[in-house]
Amino acid sequence: MNALTSSGNGGPVLSAQHLTIQSKQKKILDDLSLDFPAASLTAVVGPSGCGKTTFIRSLNRMVELTPGLSIRGSVIYLGQDIYDPSVNPVMVRRRIGMVFQRPTVFPTTVFENAAFGLRLVHEDIETIEKSVEEALQRSGLWEEVKDDLDRPALSLSGGQQQRLCIARALAIKPRVLLLDEPTSALDPAATQRVEATMQRLKEDFVLVLVTHNVGQAARVSDKVAFLHSGHLIEVGPTADILERPREALTQQFITGRFQ
Amino acid sequence: MSATPTPEAVESREPLPPPSSPPAETTPPRRTSRFRPAQLIPFIPALVPAALIVAVIAELVVSTGFTNFGLSFWGPDWLPSPSVGTPTFGILVFITGSFLTAIPALLLAMAIGLGIAIASTSYLPRWITRFLDPFVDLLAGIPSIVYGIWGYLLVAPFFGTVINPVIYRYFSFVPGFGGKAPLAEGVGLPVAIFILTLMALPITTLLIRDSLRAVPRDLWEAGLGLGATRWETTRKVAIPYGLRGIVSAGFLGFGRAFGETVMVAMVLNVVPAFPINFYSGTSTMAAEMFTQLDSAHGNGQFLAALSEMALVLLAISLVVNIVGRRLVSHFAVYEVPGL
Amino acid sequence: MASASVAAPAETGKDLLFDASARTRWRLGFDRVAGWLLPVLFLVAIVPILDLVYYIASQALPTLSWAVLTNTNPHDPYALGVPIISTVYVMLWATAVAVALGLFGGVATAEFLSERAAGWMRMSANLLVGTPSVVIGYFGYFALVLGLGWGYSFIAGATTLAFFMTPYIFRVTDLAYSSIPRPIREAALGSGARPYQYILKVAAPIALPQILNGVFLAVAIGVGETAPIVLTSTHSVLVPQTLYSPVSFLTAEIWLNFSQPPGQALALAFQAAFVVLVVVVALNIVVRIISARYQKRLEGLYQ
Repeated sequence: MNALTSSGNGGPVLSAQHLTIQSKQKKILDDLSLDFPAASLTAVVGPSGCGKTTFIRSLNRMVELTPGLSIRGSVIYLGQDIYDPSVNPVMVRRRIGMVFQRPTVFPTTVFENAAFGLRLVHEDIETIEKSVEEALQRSGLWEEVKDDLDRPALSLSGGQQQRLCIARALAIKPRVLLLDEPTSALDPAATQRVEATMQRLKEDFVLVLVTHNVGQAARVSDKVAFLHSGHLIEVGPTADILERPREALTQQFITGRFQ
Repeated sequence: MSATPTPEAVESREPLPPPSSPPAETTPPRRTSRFRPAQLIPFIPALVPAALIVAVIAELVVSTGFTNFGLSFWGPDWLPSPSVGTPTFGILVFITGSFLTAIPALLLAMAIGLGIAIASTSYLPRWITRFLDPFVDLLAGIPSIVYGIWGYLLVAPFFGTVINPVIYRYFSFVPGFGGKAPLAEGVGLPVAIFILTLMALPITTLLIRDSLRAVPRDLWEAGLGLGATRWETTRKVAIPYGLRGIVSAGFLGFGRAFGETVMVAMVLNVVPAFPINFYSGTSTMAAEMFTQLDSAHGNGQFLAALSEMALVLLAISLVVNIVGRRLVSHFAVYEVPGL
Repeated sequence: MASASVAAPAETGKDLLFDASARTRWRLGFDRVAGWLLPVLFLVAIVPILDLVYYIASQALPTLSWAVLTNTNPHDPYALGVPIISTVYVMLWATAVAVALGLFGGVATAEFLSERAAGWMRMSANLLVGTPSVVIGYFGYFALVLGLGWGYSFIAGATTLAFFMTPYIFRVTDLAYSSIPRPIREAALGSGARPYQYILKVAAPIALPQILNGVFLAVAIGVGETAPIVLTSTHSVLVPQTLYSPVSFLTAEIWLNFSQPPGQALALAFQAAFVVLVVVVALNIVVRIISARYQKRLEGLYQ
């Protein structure tokens, strides 16, 4: 696999290469390499403290907001290392969107939330409205909010807020969407709807999902990567990993002997 | 840095029973316990601050002797001891002067404070702000008389010989900036406004910084995660979120500048007249009250007029402070004088 | 939208990450410039402070010596010793009164009042802090100098100053007692301690550092205050002999002499300003250090 030449069709859209992240006390990620091909959903699973959140945050340089971490290695996005000094993290985050554990809607209207990223680049209002509608449809929220886009976003339910966050990230048309345990704060019904949204989105986007829930990985992912204390233990098609894991640690995690 | 109790600790505490009642454990439930005045004793000290405020207001009201100066009290003529005719006590000049110094100072302090607070929360790393932030706090600790002597002897001559002449030379076509040439001593509105800005700056900066720091990390990250720059995240996420705190900073900073006494009395070139242009002196309520009490000693009518002016100043200060403090439920900063 | 772009070939990461549109360049450039310019605003605070401290020091130090600081000769009108000793006396009286009012008030508010009533008292204290010092000075003048007939005197000046300092001590005491962790409070009361035993034996050791801190803060504020004392007392070349003697005060000396032509009088103003500045800045630094330590200790109690 040579990610440097893999732009265009075929190769991975995003690829972490020899990524090592250290805090003062310990190594959080140790020489981790992983590819994310187009139109796929990769679930990154592992026990808590395995570094999976740090890993997903390193894929769009959000990790740099945590002070005191040193980052080595590279993350190649369509042939370009996003950690190259000439690359502005702001541009990275516009191309590689992110959804967080808890819904983090801004205290304003539904429309303004979805339009947040668009407003920054000053598009005319028709374009913004069109993109907002498209994004809300993709995230499966449109039917629920289309009659009153001016209601406060905080009046939505938790699951709706999380789908609004997904729509907000989609509205700026990234290629890659990072989902950091997006359902951990939601009830089962809301989780189901968010999972359905993910199923639909993986047709068109590269999705990376961090989850501690093996069941969720089984339901939505094409590929599973299992992390344990900063190491990538194994990676492969979802069915292979979950049904016939090669490593003992993976086996233990899947059968619930961790946590 | 600041001692902040957790909200739970402050919000829902059962008050203690009065100490004169025996401890709960040994008390059989007596519903018919008779009220004893001694039970009130522990509550009395708690009334200290409220009693002081009430006493200040009451004393000032009494000191006015209920003298009615009529409409001329709000007029422009302040002639406490004229050579001919009866004294006139109109405080319009001082009200104007107070606003004329406090509002520009507040606007400057808000703008600079916002900039410093944003730099401190969004741009600079922690190890740098740990070193820089205390300077702003220290600005609050300098006594106003020390600001005054520094302002009168060093800053004012600098304004008088450098800044004011330049403004006079190039902007005298602007109404209010031309006319009589500025004094070389430099005392007057610009110096007073400049130093008032410094004195209001710690209040505005600290409160804005606090309200920006109170913005949940999740929201910062959500903004940055959508590809907003630090500036855009601050402007579109953090500032709207912390708006009440920022407005409160405006009110309290204004209160500080509006009530400032000694420094203004030293650098404003206090004269009981409207300013003739940007460089001239005028007077504020606080400065006039401070400098004139001596002359009024023994003069009943003059004292009455000053008391009424004190009530006006106090009333405005109270309103501004009540509004400013109501906007924010909990202040984290207590170690800063005047806050 | 995105579906089309995924299918489209030949778009490279370089194209996507180095968007050269004018709008993007403006956004990123603005952010970068803000990152450089906003920190420069710190200079608005730093330069005046350094300039002020340097100026006062450079004007005062050449004429300042141990002999000047301790010169209490009543026949020397420019002696600094009398104002310093008088200031200590005034501050002792003012602090004693302010502590008496503020301490009992703060404890009673934190421990005996309902949350609603305590809120009113806290608001009152905040309003007192926001009251212009000249208004407090007027209160002292009308109530003490004239009302109680104390005249322009030590006791009138020091008591007025105490009123000015009281809300600071009140607030800090209230805060210190209110922020004692609930489990500690409940454990003490639950095990049969009487309220006063809890207040004195359990809570006081925890709250004391912060209260002491509040006292330091109030002293720093009081010693730098001018209006309350200038309006309620008059200059004296003597250390006050009785409660009703006139009294000198460091800030009052500055006020009396700051506009004199260069000479001994002006030198006295600068010396007084320097002493006040050193005391106030030193107290402020002590306050911050204690405050930071106390905060850590309190966090320890919560764990």
